[in-house]
Amino acid sequence: MSISVRNLVKTYGSVQVIKDISFDVSDGEFVTLLGPSGCGKTTSLRCIAGLENVDEGQITINDRVVSDGKTGVFVPPDQRNLGMVFQSYAIWPHLTVAQNVAFPLTVRGQKDTASDVKWALDIVGLNHLANRRPSELSGGQQQRVALARAIAGRPQVLLFDEPLSNLDARLRDRTRLEISRIHKELKVPAIYVTHDQTEALSMSDRVIVMNGGEIAQTGTAIEVYNRPVNRFVADFIGNANFLKVKREGDHWQMKDGTRIDVCLETLLNPDEPKAVLIRPEAIEVQTAISQAGSNLSDSLNQLSGTVVSSMFLGHHYEHIVDVADTLVRAHSRSPIETGHTIRLRFAAADCRLVHDNS
Amino acid sequence: MTTALQAKRLNLNILGPLYAVVFAAVALMALIPISALVLGSFRDSPPGQPGEWTLENWINLSSPGVVETLINTFQVSGITTIVSMVIGTMLALIIHRTDFRWPNTMTGLLGLSFYFPSFILGMAWIVIGSPGGLINDLARELFELELDLDIYSLGGIVLVMILHQVPFVYLTMRGPVLGMDPSYEEAARTAGASAFTMLYKVTLPMLFYALASSALLCLIMCLEQFGIPVLLGVPGRITLLATQIYLLCRFPPTAYGLAAAVGLTLAGITALAILLQRRLARGGQAVVTTGKAGRITPINLGIWRWPVNIFCGLYLVMGLILPTVILLYTSLTKFFTGNPLHAAYTLRNYLQIWESEGVQTATLNTLIVSGGGALIGVLLGAACSYFTVRHKPFGYRWLDALVMLPFGVPGIVLGLGLLWAYAYLPLPIYGTMTVIVLAYVTRFLPYATETAGSRFVQLDKSLEEAAWTAGASKQTGAWRIILPLSLPSLQSGYFLLFMAFFREISATILIFTASTSVLSVSIWSYFEQADWGMASALSIFAMVMMLIIMSALMWAMPGARKR
Repeated sequence: MSISVRNLVKTYGSVQVIKDISFDVSDGEFVTLLGPSGCGKTTSLRCIAGLENVDEGQITINDRVVSDGKTGVFVPPDQRNLGMVFQSYAIWPHLTVAQNVAFPLTVRGQKDTASDVKWALDIVGLNHLANRRPSELSGGQQQRVALARAIAGRPQVLLFDEPLSNLDARLRDRTRLEISRIHKELKVPAIYVTHDQTEALSMSDRVIVMNGGEIAQTGTAIEVYNRPVNRFVADFIGNANFLKVKREGDHWQMKDGTRIDVCLETLLNPDEPKAVLIRPEAIEVQTAISQAGSNLSDSLNQLSGTVVSSMFLGHHYEHIVDVADTLVRAHSRSPIETGHTIRLRFAAADCRLVHDNS
Repeated sequence: MTTALQAKRLNLNILGPLYAVVFAAVALMALIPISALVLGSFRDSPPGQPGEWTLENWINLSSPGVVETLINTFQVSGITTIVSMVIGTMLALIIHRTDFRWPNTMTGLLGLSFYFPSFILGMAWIVIGSPGGLINDLARELFELELDLDIYSLGGIVLVMILHQVPFVYLTMRGPVLGMDPSYEEAARTAGASAFTMLYKVTLPMLFYALASSALLCLIMCLEQFGIPVLLGVPGRITLLATQIYLLCRFPPTAYGLAAAVGLTLAGITALAILLQRRLARGGQAVVTTGKAGRITPINLGIWRWPVNIFCGLYLVMGLILPTVILLYTSLTKFFTGNPLHAAYTLRNYLQIWESEGVQTATLNTLIVSGGGALIGVLLGAACSYFTVRHKPFGYRWLDALVMLPFGVPGIVLGLGLLWAYAYLPLPIYGTMTVIVLAYVTRFLPYATETAGSRFVQLDKSLEEAAWTAGASKQTGAWRIILPLSLPSLQSGYFLLFMAFFREISATILIFTASTSVLSVSIWSYFEQADWGMASALSIFAMVMMLIIMSALMWAMPGARKR
């Protein structure tokens, strides 16, 4: 079983919201569409679900063409054999939990639904609430009913449209695990739309980062985090500092002449304007006192700057440091007074050159 | 883009043909009477008879008679609207903003007087205030006074129309008054404003949109009002536009063409007011109600308590209690006399109702037209809204406009339009119940589309989409998800239509025949024959029936109670 999207284009009025994107999801694979609001991720998912028609391009589910802009083929959503979970849960308030879950079965004419409903509710652990009304359930329980409903009909494809964004932080963590577990059990291709990087990184076999209707990068969670192809991807996934640099002979340097050593594999197209990406957690913070004992090595970059603010975030302190008019974020376990001059050290291997495209 | 559109249409499956049928039905219902009216206004002969094309009717609009009618109409409607707005808004504020003692009773009784048919109210006030009526009679008999009170006057028409309109104003202002965010008022109080300063400087200005929108609706209803101006105006030789149409068609020398031209003029005025009202209502939605109606500290009435109580009581007496008592009294007397001690009491009128075949036919017809017609109206209205709100297929804006179009056409004008239309069309429905149902559904379809539509808007798109992705076709989704979820609104729409159909007379008065008479027309006929006793008895009978059905509907349909 698989999903294939080829050259998908979707236009609303004069706005092209999806600009020619292609990707595949193979059997049992969990793929996330990640991006800011308006990047076209939800529209892509809705096109796959058949809730929107495509303007150009082709969508295939299990080698069956379900949408084709050229031939006008359009299979309505009810004939695509889907399981879909919506952001708003979309649990029907006039039906009980069991009736909600049984819907995909009864609608296909299945008479005896009891065992399938029990199977689905067991997976989400809600069998004891089968006869309740949705209004009596908490948000997390409602979303699990939506999950059970999505899988009850044993769909060929699972689609998730920001299913966790209406839940509070703790429930979000729990339900995330649950979705992963259920997907592993069903072994069908799944597409998950989210703007939350934690969800994307933790659940996916593959992440597709979208921006402005285009695919910015495709890769495993580790790839898109550690090797972002451009400034947008780097900025959107995780925290990032960018230092504007110029090519100067055989090395790169900042405006004030400070030399920055970078990871060698990123030295492509040296003529384009570049920025150096450095994650806050890769920076070692040194106050003046602790500086004495440090041993400098060639592969370590060093910058000094003034602390603009220092904020307690629970797990660590976050410092905003002014380095030659560029604000840099760095973490440490202890507070630093504002106005202090400190030293920031980071390995060349953690510095990636990216296109300065913003 | 074209492929997308085609796909969207094909995608509707069975709903596609249904959309076409609904569209065609609504278009025909709206356009036939109106275009017939336009054609008719250029004819010099009555409907269905040979004649010539002419511009005479439109030229005659500038004759002194028509101009005076126009001025009368605006005068009566304007004054009625202003006074009703003041009284209705005051009642809403008193009931929902002060520590008035009996808010629920008052709301209930005002709701009841909202359903009091206007022409029956007019009749009751003729019995009360005409030269031979109760007040003059009593004054003469008890105090030997010649009061010369005359309800057949401009003042009389305005008085009864105000009594009729006040509950409407109250009901439309009630929501905004209740829904107002209390924090604005609290801010005014903490800034040092007294309760009355707050009312004047904060509450009323904030209600501006709601007030303006309600005033325009009230004005439209006054312009369309038929029963009261005909009953009170004809004997006093005071003509309003609605009355004139009736007179031109009913009494020789008839002038159907001129009536059509007058009707179109009236429809044009009301349509303009409706457009304005819709614009206002849209602009005002965001301003007043934030939806978080909180508890608000009621204003202490203090020394105003008794004046306010008397004010409320006076309205109830004049608008509801006195008319009902008078009708009951009149229905039980052999000959009308103002002094109940001298009256000869009898049950003759009620016996006659029981035995009269005409009344039986009219009762049955009313039940069929109201019960069945309201069902047709709700189903058609719900279908229209389902398409215009949820699917927005090709041309849905036109459907929306076509539904609203006849709303600007007063009942009597619509009746006249149908009269003209079936003279031209070779349809064998003239003089059948179908025409009456058609007229009612056409006229009140927006009631159904608005109640159903407001619910359809609330239902999140994903509720339906979840059904589709779960394997349900569009029609299955509509049937198993949307329909059950909007049932309360459909019930409420049915209730509204049933009540409107039951009371309606202006659209019927020109198109009924002996076999298709309804109760409202029968009451009218008795009154026209100066049989006050029978007219009153039949009114009481109709209103008791209406009350029973109202309670039954509310009991059977939880959704109808929300009104």
